[in-house]
Amino acid sequence: MKKLLLILYIALSPFIASAQEEDTKDWATRGINIREVSVYGQRPMKDIGTQQTKFDTIALKENIALSMADVLTFNSAIFVKNYGRATLSTVAFRGTSPSHTQVSWNGMKINNPMLGMTDFSMIPSYFIDDASLLHGTSSVNETGGGLGGSVKLSTKPAQSNGFGLQYIQGIGSFKTFDEFLRLTYGNSHWQTSTRVVYSSSPNDYKYRNHDKKVNVYDENMNIVDQYYPIERNRSGAYKDFHLLQEVYYNTGKGDRFGLNAWYINSNRELAMLTVDHGNDTDFENRQREQTFRGVMSWDHLRESWKLGAKAGYIYTWMAYDYKRDLGNGIMAHMTRSRSRINTFYGQVDGEYSIGTKWLFTANLSLHQHIVVSEDKNIVRQDGNKAIVGYRKGRPELSGSVSAKWRPTERLGLSFVVREEMVGREWTPIIPAFFVDGLISQRGNIVAKASISRNFRFPTLNDLYFLPGGNPDLRKESGWTYDTGVSFAIGKENIYSLSGSANWFESFIKDWIIWLPTPKGFFSPENIKDVHAYGIELKANLDVALSKEWQLGLNGTFSWTPSINVGEPRTPADRSVGKQLPYVPQLSSTVTGRLTWRRWTFLYKWCYYSERFTMSSNDISLTGKLPPYFMSNISLEKVLVFKWADLSLKGTVNNLFNEEYLSVLSRPMPGINFEIFIGITPKW
Amino acid sequence: MRYYITIICLMLCSCMKWEYGIEEDFDLSASGDGLFICNEGNFQYGNATLSYYDPTTKTVQNEIFYRANAMKLGDVCQSMIIRNGIGWVVVNNSHVVFAIDINTFKEVGRITNLTSPRYIHFISDEKAYITQIWDNRIFIVNPKRYEITGYIDVPNMTSESGSTEQMVQHGKYVYVNCWSYQNRIIKIDTETDKVVDELVVGIQPTSLVMDCNNKLWTVTDGGYEGSPYGHEAPSLYRIDAETFTIEKQFKFSFGDWPSEVQLNGTKDKIYWLNDDVWEMDVTADRVPVRPFLSYNGTLYYGLTVCPRTGDVYIADAIDYVQQGMVYRYSKDRELIDSFYVGIIPGAFCWK
Repeated sequence: MKKLLLILYIALSPFIASAQEEDTKDWATRGINIREVSVYGQRPMKDIGTQQTKFDTIALKENIALSMADVLTFNSAIFVKNYGRATLSTVAFRGTSPSHTQVSWNGMKINNPMLGMTDFSMIPSYFIDDASLLHGTSSVNETGGGLGGSVKLSTKPAQSNGFGLQYIQGIGSFKTFDEFLRLTYGNSHWQTSTRVVYSSSPNDYKYRNHDKKVNVYDENMNIVDQYYPIERNRSGAYKDFHLLQEVYYNTGKGDRFGLNAWYINSNRELAMLTVDHGNDTDFENRQREQTFRGVMSWDHLRESWKLGAKAGYIYTWMAYDYKRDLGNGIMAHMTRSRSRINTFYGQVDGEYSIGTKWLFTANLSLHQHIVVSEDKNIVRQDGNKAIVGYRKGRPELSGSVSAKWRPTERLGLSFVVREEMVGREWTPIIPAFFVDGLISQRGNIVAKASISRNFRFPTLNDLYFLPGGNPDLRKESGWTYDTGVSFAIGKENIYSLSGSANWFESFIKDWIIWLPTPKGFFSPENIKDVHAYGIELKANLDVALSKEWQLGLNGTFSWTPSINVGEPRTPADRSVGKQLPYVPQLSSTVTGRLTWRRWTFLYKWCYYSERFTMSSNDISLTGKLPPYFMSNISLEKVLVFKWADLSLKGTVNNLFNEEYLSVLSRPMPGINFEIFIGITPKW
Repeated sequence: MRYYITIICLMLCSCMKWEYGIEEDFDLSASGDGLFICNEGNFQYGNATLSYYDPTTKTVQNEIFYRANAMKLGDVCQSMIIRNGIGWVVVNNSHVVFAIDINTFKEVGRITNLTSPRYIHFISDEKAYITQIWDNRIFIVNPKRYEITGYIDVPNMTSESGSTEQMVQHGKYVYVNCWSYQNRIIKIDTETDKVVDELVVGIQPTSLVMDCNNKLWTVTDGGYEGSPYGHEAPSLYRIDAETFTIEKQFKFSFGDWPSEVQLNGTKDKIYWLNDDVWEMDVTADRVPVRPFLSYNGTLYYGLTVCPRTGDVYIADAIDYVQQGMVYRYSKDRELIDSFYVGIIPGAFCWK
């Protein structure tokens, strides 16, 4: 048996996360309940031909202190660009850029309309109950603009009966304190939940700085010695507070109402670069954010049709302050930037099915952004003060209709047409076509294919930022197709094994990139055409080794060349035909879980290949980002008492204490530890 | 079995490395001319580098600071000057000025804790000024002790919109162009370290040189569209250093982006970039009709003229995320050489 497992491990590594719906407590107390593998008839009509990665509760909650950036790093093959611990983390699919990833929370888009991207380090996994990635074309089912794909995040009712409480305290290296509290109440109609997360740390981990040396001088100021200093991560402290309130009402007669409100208060310093020779006490580099996101929803369900409506609102206030001590204790502003974003959201959607063979869907959503960006305070020529910035509003309307047809049990076809209006500009029709077919019932081998067109509009900063915004930018456009095959086999309570292999290819025109100008500021241009293609492999294995031992292995692997196929900018341009900078060609993750009674051991591993820092793919001494491997482990024990369940968990991150960089000049922490103590009283 | 365990161990154990540099020995004391190229690198990525070009042998050495010192130069290499065999390299977002031996490229010292340094100018062996952006002070330093010894407060300038740039000296006065959201040249008395006068020019004067007739030359960029500070057609100004008055204003078209005013070795010709490369006698009354070198499809980013041969060197940053190219032309507009340097070559310094 062991040998068989090992062979499976080698052959199918890396593996994929599957969508087992188990909560952490059940996992720990009962072990893995290995389901019989889904049969073809259970494939939802809505998912015909889609390439989707779903994250189960186990993956989302396996380390409660993780952000969604960490979850995606270790459980998917998309690229997470991490600027350091508790700092900006962006995700990108299939060799595209972070702004090509559309992100929604309970249906509402949460990409920053000024920047286009989403900071996943600001999304605690504790607040997410359901997460899925829609790769490439599949994102057209949900939204436009996802040239790489989209990330769907949502919450759902806790299904509690009566009052419930969970409190978890985490204490970790670098004086890290994490507090988690959840209060729930539920009955057959009402479900409410209040979740609170508070995380703080000076985040001053030690590292040996390979990028600079400290000089030792003699009395005549001659250098007599130099050494690489052991430094602390300077100015990297953070305090993040999150509050999530949910209320759900189910009439029991086919109507469901929901209210979700999420408040964020974040105060983070921006760590100094490894090559910064300034004194950290003389500078303050801080980013603060307050965000409120609220969504109300109504779902009306009938046997053959469904209607839904949502309304939402986002308010974001962001402040960036870069200050310098003038030598007298007074901190003078070098940069003082403020921005306020108001977004109003509304959506209606409907589904109608005719028998079991046809499903029609329609969806219309509107996001109205109102942005005030104040980037700099200046003194004008006439001596009066002025602010450099912009105030703009922009509606984003997106609508789609689809027809899904399953003429036989073995074949499914889906056709989606989407159109979007951003500002006053309409996209051409965005078509997407999906097909899947059951090749073999034995092994549940399913083949899938899809093709779509897509567009992404410039962000508000791309168009209007001062200085540099370029109102003449064109929208980016792309064609994507993918095809793949998946299988799933298993036996109830013995094992389950599933996997998939996909090929994708996309062509993106008019890629927008910000470049320096001779005037000393950056400005965006439509300069690149990109051909991205590659392979995505996913697999999952769950085995009941005995009554008390369970093993779970899952992993992913991606090969994603993302090639600049535009015209050379100048005769000296060596970037054409080369991989885009900062986009790894290879990435992989592996997660192994071993459960014995109420003990769970978890091993997580991820890998990114070398990232080029130059568009010409030349590797210089000062621009090297070697391959990135990371291993984390954790051990958890659940204690069951009559009055409460207690959980004890210890995690070790960066197990091999590697000195490494994810981004140039931004060191990551070495080995670090955190312990968690959780209590769930039984009323 | 052992084979599988090995594979798993290789997978799970890591081999990534944040490498240490290896110090290389250079000795260019016997060589003649040499050109240092400051490659800014990408802001916030700490990949600025220094290149060295030998015009005689037409050979270039890249990343010389890293190779000689086994450490990085830093984030945004802004400018460099040489004094008494020591090169002073200003690294803007690393808040440092490195002093290096210009023959071995080894560091001999550094001035740290600057706000956001742009240029350094020597008053004497023991006194120099360092201009800053986002600070309304010019730092006074003792280069021998690598110490900050004082500040020159620039009047009518806040920290946030503070910007002092290039410096030239005439007698006991140092002239400084104030660029970002500024419109003036200031005059500093080097004996009192005080700003004693200022001259309003156009919006955002970007560079400053002084010709053989003690005339200051600066070119404005005119600001940008939508700027609350204003947006106007840029101009080239000739200013008499003695009287500190504008003698001549050469207006460009609205939307032009002139920059990088430079002089030849005899200081009787000025050069600048404005899509093309332009050349003009310092006594001319009109801007030439035809450029010295025509635009070739890229935005030139840096410019210098060899003080001895008059060869013109132009830096092409290409797409700003790959090694830039430097083109070397004779004063007769013949292409002599071209060579790749570092990312965003922006400034030059002659040995």
